[in-house]
Amino acid sequence: MWPVFKKELKTYFLSPIGYICIGIFLLVFSTFFYMTTIQSISIDLGYLYFYTAQYGLLIITPILTMRLFAEERKNGTEQLLLTSPRSITGIVLGKFLAAVIVILIILIISFMYYVILTFFGEPNLVPTLIMMLGFLLLAMAAISAGMFASSITENQIISAIITIAFLIVPWFLLSISDGFSLINLMSSYSKFPAGILSTTEVVSLVSFTIMFLLFTIIVMRRRKTVK
Amino acid sequence: MIQVKNVTKKYGKFTAIDNISFEVKDGEVVGLLGPNGAGKSTTMNMITGYIDSTAGQILVNGVNVEKRPRKAKKQIGYMPESVPLYTELTVKEFIKYMAQLKLVKRKELKSEVNKVIEEVGLKDVENKLIRNLSRGYKQRVGIAGALVGNPKVIILDEPTVGLDPKQITEIRELIKKLGKSHTVILSSHILSEISQICENVIIINKGKIVAIDTPSNLEKKTSNKNIISLTVEDKKGNMDKIKDKINDAKEVKLIKDNEDGTKQYQIISEENIDLRKKLFEILPKEEIVIFELKKEESTLEDAFMSLISDEKNTDKKEEKR
Repeated sequence: MWPVFKKELKTYFLSPIGYICIGIFLLVFSTFFYMTTIQSISIDLGYLYFYTAQYGLLIITPILTMRLFAEERKNGTEQLLLTSPRSITGIVLGKFLAAVIVILIILIISFMYYVILTFFGEPNLVPTLIMMLGFLLLAMAAISAGMFASSITENQIISAIITIAFLIVPWFLLSISDGFSLINLMSSYSKFPAGILSTTEVVSLVSFTIMFLLFTIIVMRRRKTVK
Repeated sequence: MIQVKNVTKKYGKFTAIDNISFEVKDGEVVGLLGPNGAGKSTTMNMITGYIDSTAGQILVNGVNVEKRPRKAKKQIGYMPESVPLYTELTVKEFIKYMAQLKLVKRKELKSEVNKVIEEVGLKDVENKLIRNLSRGYKQRVGIAGALVGNPKVIILDEPTVGLDPKQITEIRELIKKLGKSHTVILSSHILSEISQICENVIIINKGKIVAIDTPSNLEKKTSNKNIISLTVEDKKGNMDKIKDKINDAKEVKLIKDNEDGTKQYQIISEENIDLRKKLFEILPKEEIVIFELKKEESTLEDAFMSLISDEKNTDKKEEKR
């Protein structure tokens, strides 16, 4: 798992992808920071993390995940991975963690908004950390879904579109029936922005993540017999 | 070392590999030979555990590839046909990554990587990005990736495709060198290559094994006639009568009238009869001047063609039925 993790993380920052992701995120964060705190004279970071999660992840997730497996399949390097003595589970987890680390870097940088607010008032630290934790869990669920999309195609564009569709379509479905909130990631991210640690939401997001990780592993395993 | 037992691979209704069995012994260099689409790559992909077989089993050193992939894959280094590489890495980074994937211990990592770089001749370019390398160097990086971690078996799928003649000889030399310390399986559709490098040849056509033998045996087996090619100056036209004078000659064929007045013939006799001595005795008596006389060597190419075309003929017969 670790060699794959290290190599993937390195690849993010050898190509512009890692920097682009961090750049976009900071732009989105800063814009919402201005709108939700400074403009509305508030020291509540909840809206910041909610809106950034909703719109930022929509852009970042596909960029981070689309190449993970699709590129390997297209270039044939998948053959090197799958004929090595490493387990498929390890390979999938390594790639997953590398993408999560990029998000983690962004989150750590985002702590500066909390620091900025301390100059203007007394924001609460614990709720902010809970917001960040929620954000991380949400990003992990989105990344695992994106990685699954990458594992089922060799075309990165298709993989990206599937990921965006997965994140965006439930928003519209919600207006048809509340039942669709089950497949809507953002529905499991409603209490975190208020600084409340809800077991339901943690379990829900973690299950989402595990489910898509398993799907990815199954797809990669099946390729041996299908190909 | 490697045992392939009754292995079949089907894609839907299409049978890519049809019940093949063979064995590769320790330290052998074996060539898989066959026309494009014969199933060479599929066979290699199954041995390396990239794809599963539909039926049968493959043992590497007694370890079943499908049941205990980790242990089996540890013993195999594989360079796939398309030579896939992580082009955004440098040569050294790539080889190091491959070494880590192959469970090389951290302590030995550095020395192992350097050893392989030295062995394959990549020292000059070790810090270059793979993307910027020429085809020949990329091929070497691919071989280095297969070699690292010192696996017992090295499997190379068409290692010389797309290289220039100089690079081809270099890669061949490298493979010969590897053959001394490893078991090597390589595939190719270039026959001279196989006959130069390999001790044993497995000829595959349409997913079936057509022949397994040494290159020289294959050459002998398929030649059931002795052919002598002969260039003579025959002013009196006595060549027509030659066939009557030499009883063992089955056929005397005129191949070509050369511009300088000489004629080229082919004389065919049974396998165990060598007519060369007789020709040298008789022709001067008939006032025929010999310019050139040569026994035709049958090549692996002939062997291959005849084996493949045998298959085709039987196929046609079956179709007619």
